[in-house]
Amino acid sequence: MSPSSDMLVEQADVLIAGSGAAGMRAAIAAHDAGANVVLLAKGPRRANHTRMSGGRYNVVTGLNANDSNDAFFQDTIDSGVGINNYELTRILADEALERAYDLEEYGLAWDRTDVKKYYMSMTGGGTYVRTLGSVDEGIGITEIMLHQLHKRGIRICDFHMLADVIRDDNGSVAGALAMDLSRGVWRYFSTPTVVIATGGTSQLYETSSGPTINTGDGIAIALRAGAELVDIEFMQFIPISFVYPPGARGYTLTEPAHYGKRHFDPSAEAAHLLNNKGERFVKHYDPVRMEGSTRDILARAIMLEILEGRGTPEGGVLMVPDPAVFDAFLKERPIYVKRLLENYGEPQARLQAPIQVMPSALYTLGGVRIDAWCRTCVPGLLAAGEAAGGVHGANRLGGSSMPDIQVFGRRAGIAAAQDAKAGRPPQSAGLERARARADALTAPLRATDGIRPPEVKRRVQKLMWDHVGLVRTGAKLEETLRAFGELRANVMPKLKVTSKARILNREWMESLELENMLDLGEAMAATSLARKETRGAFYRTDFQSVDPEWTANLWVKHDGSSMSVEKRAVSTLEAPAAPKLETAIS
Amino acid sequence: MSTPSSITVTAEIRRYDPSQDAEPRYEKFQVTGLSNMSVLDVVRSIYDNQAGDLAYQFACRVGRCGTCAVKVNGTPVLACQERCKPEMRIEPLTPFPVLRDLVVDRTEIEGRLAALSLAPEREAAHPREPEPITPELSAELCKMDSCLLCMVCVSACPAVEERAFDGPAFMLKLRHMAKHPQDRRNRLEQAIEGGMLECFNCDVCTQVCPADLSPAQAIREFRRELIFGGARRS
Repeated sequence: MSPSSDMLVEQADVLIAGSGAAGMRAAIAAHDAGANVVLLAKGPRRANHTRMSGGRYNVVTGLNANDSNDAFFQDTIDSGVGINNYELTRILADEALERAYDLEEYGLAWDRTDVKKYYMSMTGGGTYVRTLGSVDEGIGITEIMLHQLHKRGIRICDFHMLADVIRDDNGSVAGALAMDLSRGVWRYFSTPTVVIATGGTSQLYETSSGPTINTGDGIAIALRAGAELVDIEFMQFIPISFVYPPGARGYTLTEPAHYGKRHFDPSAEAAHLLNNKGERFVKHYDPVRMEGSTRDILARAIMLEILEGRGTPEGGVLMVPDPAVFDAFLKERPIYVKRLLENYGEPQARLQAPIQVMPSALYTLGGVRIDAWCRTCVPGLLAAGEAAGGVHGANRLGGSSMPDIQVFGRRAGIAAAQDAKAGRPPQSAGLERARARADALTAPLRATDGIRPPEVKRRVQKLMWDHVGLVRTGAKLEETLRAFGELRANVMPKLKVTSKARILNREWMESLELENMLDLGEAMAATSLARKETRGAFYRTDFQSVDPEWTANLWVKHDGSSMSVEKRAVSTLEAPAAPKLETAIS
Repeated sequence: MSTPSSITVTAEIRRYDPSQDAEPRYEKFQVTGLSNMSVLDVVRSIYDNQAGDLAYQFACRVGRCGTCAVKVNGTPVLACQERCKPEMRIEPLTPFPVLRDLVVDRTEIEGRLAALSLAPEREAAHPREPEPITPELSAELCKMDSCLLCMVCVSACPAVEERAFDGPAFMLKLRHMAKHPQDRRNRLEQAIEGGMLECFNCDVCTQVCPADLSPAQAIREFRRELIFGGARRS
């Protein structure tokens, strides 16, 4: 059977890649606007990053009289160190409440203190008590949203991995190539609009919090299709993650355990962090806020202690929790008490003994550059959620990804439905390009000798963790770029898979992921090298302070053969045009 | 806590590719690692080091996505939440069709969930302010909605095996909607249609649930409603 003859061709008005909340919210909105929607899930539909989230949701509800949308906006800009896309940040602050009500309409029960009063708490970086939650966390959010898709009869294709967006001769979206992993066959969706909602890049790192599917596929695909990336050098690391067992290493230990009384009271202390000398090392990094500091500073402080040999043998530091908050913790986050009990021990689960913690790759701050309606510079291509960049700038407030995916998921769905009405491409447009691409991506299946994709994946993850992670430096970034070039030139052509079986061939899927990981790793390393300063989650040992010259964004473009990086002025509300400053390195 | 000791486990894995194999076979692997390895750790190690062609499924590795469920020595478990055993026979979850090796096809399960219409069927639109729900009820709803739909309970249920019964997870989801203050549909009727009366009340579902939920309790509540009344009329 030749690769082209397996191509199944279908039509949609709006094709959405990603089954997390951003993708599902886009699907609901596009369907309600009259579009014929197809949603692709890379794994089973429940395998997504939203599901793993604590589900905590920043929103100004009016319950806290001191808080306001302006304060939420300003906190987000301050946390983002001024390089956010101001318009997107404003939309986040202004629309979060309506979207929180949407979730309640879908069936979510936000935690309450009274019949009509939501339970509010604090997260990392916020000035006010502004965060909703529900005990079912990301699980409940994804379930109630899934039922809304079911109710609308929206088609969900499980085990469908987006491989590439195909454009017509004018550069507009003509369709999308996807692989049905469950059968090992290619599918071409003839569609005028594609929404990238594939989540982030946490799996580019050796230690990460997210699901194994988050290899940045959609972001790399958008880049290859002509879209720009913004702020892609900014990766958020969560400071407080599990160190063991090995299988769960890097999984986030929910913030309430770390925050202690500070969870409810901004003036209270968070749990102390100690290095192997018993010293509260955070005093060297943030003597004022100490352990109540923001995620970026805490994660960096912990990593530097570990790198400088003051960590535990297992590669962590010790967190001394506050046993006084145990009852509240057990009530709010019972599942974490269970995890601590199973993996650490009873004293740790009761918050009576120090808990070993380490930082972990959590959230991709940058991503595909979008406008207020999630459109990219490629007609018909949209992006939302973690795959998109600009909302959070250089660092994200804890609790802000949940409103982000609801607010911008909906906007992407509305805009895509509108764009789809403008006209559907002829079914044949792009089909030959899709066939050629599918044929190239089938090469590892034909190879008889070579290197297994998971081995190469581990090399990329190690390079990213060591050199494009929490602590970066010019020389190592250059070395990493050379290593990526070497992998691309000499290793990628030699990928081979163990079995030629087409059904659920994991190695074959990983060969597709690897191409995306390399494209993104290169973009992340190149922009990191260009940004000669330290800002938010981004830290260079050779440029350790914030440089006002760098209150700017880096845009990445790919012209089909090479990648270019450009420095651009921040798009503030006063100057939304984003004039071009200069052309930086390529 | 001291560092766990090392262990060598023997895992016998059911291999089957419906597109190529006439029947399933079992392949034996040995894996050495920390004694607190999960079943998933063992399976991942086999894929990484011994069988690159193994088909298996997981995403979150921490008991949240609910997609890694398998049978270990005949008992359905979530692979990421289950400690490894010295001797393990690892098989795909029954009674579901197998895509390949350890991965099952959930198409029919999703179809059944969709058919149950598990979104609240509202009489009035959302008020665009916090909907009146007591804190206690809200906590209960959240707890019930932390069901992973991993199908471990459905696989373990003896009534599912013998009788026309959808299974515990579906009853729990229906009960969640029955308790939702805005839902107007008669969920008891749906539960009966789904075979709720076939349940043996053995509580196996509660014992195996990786999310510490009790579908059996949900069924008992429905039965109480059937006898003493209180269900919504649709």
